[in-house]
Amino acid sequence: MSEKDVVLKAENIHKSYSGNNVLNGISFEVKRGETKIICGPSGSGKSTVLRCLNLLTRPDEGHVWLEGTEVTSASTDINKIRQKIGFVFQEFNLFNHFNALRNVSIGLEKVKGVKKDEAKKIALEQLARVGLQEHAHKYPAELSGGQKQRVAIARARAINPVIIFYDEPTSALDPQLIGEVLEVMKGLAKERVTSLVVTHEMGFAQSVGDEMLFMVDGRIVERGPPQELIMRCKYDVTKKFFESIQELYGREK
Amino acid sequence: MATVWEYLPYMLGGVIWTFGLVGGGLALGFGIGLPMGMGQVYGGKATKAPIHAYIWFFRSVPLLVLLFLFYWGIFPASGFKLDPLACSIVVLGLRSGAYQSQIFRGSVECVGDGQLMAARTLGMSKFKGIYHIVLPQALRIAIPGWANEYAIMLKDSAICFALGVLEILTRTRYVVMATMESLLPYLIAGVVFIILTYGGTKIINVIYERTKVSGLIWRM
Repeated sequence: MSEKDVVLKAENIHKSYSGNNVLNGISFEVKRGETKIICGPSGSGKSTVLRCLNLLTRPDEGHVWLEGTEVTSASTDINKIRQKIGFVFQEFNLFNHFNALRNVSIGLEKVKGVKKDEAKKIALEQLARVGLQEHAHKYPAELSGGQKQRVAIARARAINPVIIFYDEPTSALDPQLIGEVLEVMKGLAKERVTSLVVTHEMGFAQSVGDEMLFMVDGRIVERGPPQELIMRCKYDVTKKFFESIQELYGREK
Repeated sequence: MATVWEYLPYMLGGVIWTFGLVGGGLALGFGIGLPMGMGQVYGGKATKAPIHAYIWFFRSVPLLVLLFLFYWGIFPASGFKLDPLACSIVVLGLRSGAYQSQIFRGSVECVGDGQLMAARTLGMSKFKGIYHIVLPQALRIAIPGWANEYAIMLKDSAICFALGVLEILTRTRYVVMATMESLLPYLIAGVVFIILTYGGTKIINVIYERTKVSGLIWRM
């Protein structure tokens, strides 16, 4: 595996909020085409990791590289970097005043400078890929949670990023809507779209995850292929976590 | 002696002046209030402190005191010569700016952090994110509060009779002096204000309905 195949590299990320250590030295790499899963109990710093990687939150210490460019360097234009990172939020955060189509095309138009017609065309293609071309003219408030999240994935994909971050993309959804979002995500993972996924969906992790990082108290305490990690975790805290999840969701087939 | 009705066209001519006061005051207040409201949400301490002091001042001093202070005090002392109408518009605008900033602060906060954050993840600068994503939503949310500001400003504008601006109340008082009648002229003035308040807020409500985003209920 050469250096070129590493899309994202994080080294020794630290973050604290008013003396409270949230991240205590996080290091990992994401290779091209890989789907990396981050999981761990609530408050372990999973979302903060994602936010530190694209500087939505500035880490106190540590370095991040995206395709060899240091994200954390003061001379790097962070807006350029963020155009290469798709971001899918737990709460969707679709632009309320735009219809689905414009939600997807706005980034192309206003950030990448793509002409309006061309941006529309690309946006429609992206909506079609998540099965929502017929809903292109609906506003976020007229869409179900699952549809909203699929629009959000189309929006993240439209700017043609090199990696997609998912921050608990199904946690705000009703159980019957989770499936449609996971289907889209699985499809992308199978196409080898590089992604970093914070999730508790163990079925998803096991079927398409290449590696899983398990976080506790701002540290990565275990890592490995999801299947193995879930079956043979070393620590009690990891074991307990997986047991409680299985109890909640039922054993994954 | 002429009757009150003969003076009616003269009295109604004051509506134009009242519109000038209200229109000018609201526009100036918008120009001041919008950036101040944004500053209160997105600015640092150095931005927030002077804005806070400004708002505190203009909300604490009565309008009549402000009018006299600026017309007889601040403008002459600083070498400006403003006529009563211009001075009244400036004072109404400065004061409305303080109130409007609170309308816009509230509406920007109502849009929520997630919207700007999502814009930033697409690679938009903070300015672009505010301009394309936050402001269009915040301005829509602000419309009902703004209708209220119009209604208040309309009635406050009558105080400018104290500087002799030829708006509705000033003209009504001249008619009272000319006809020696009080009841009818003041009654007419009252009705004119009712019509202007009703009509204006109605129009703003139509704008609100027209710009409403389909299916969306704002969490106010």
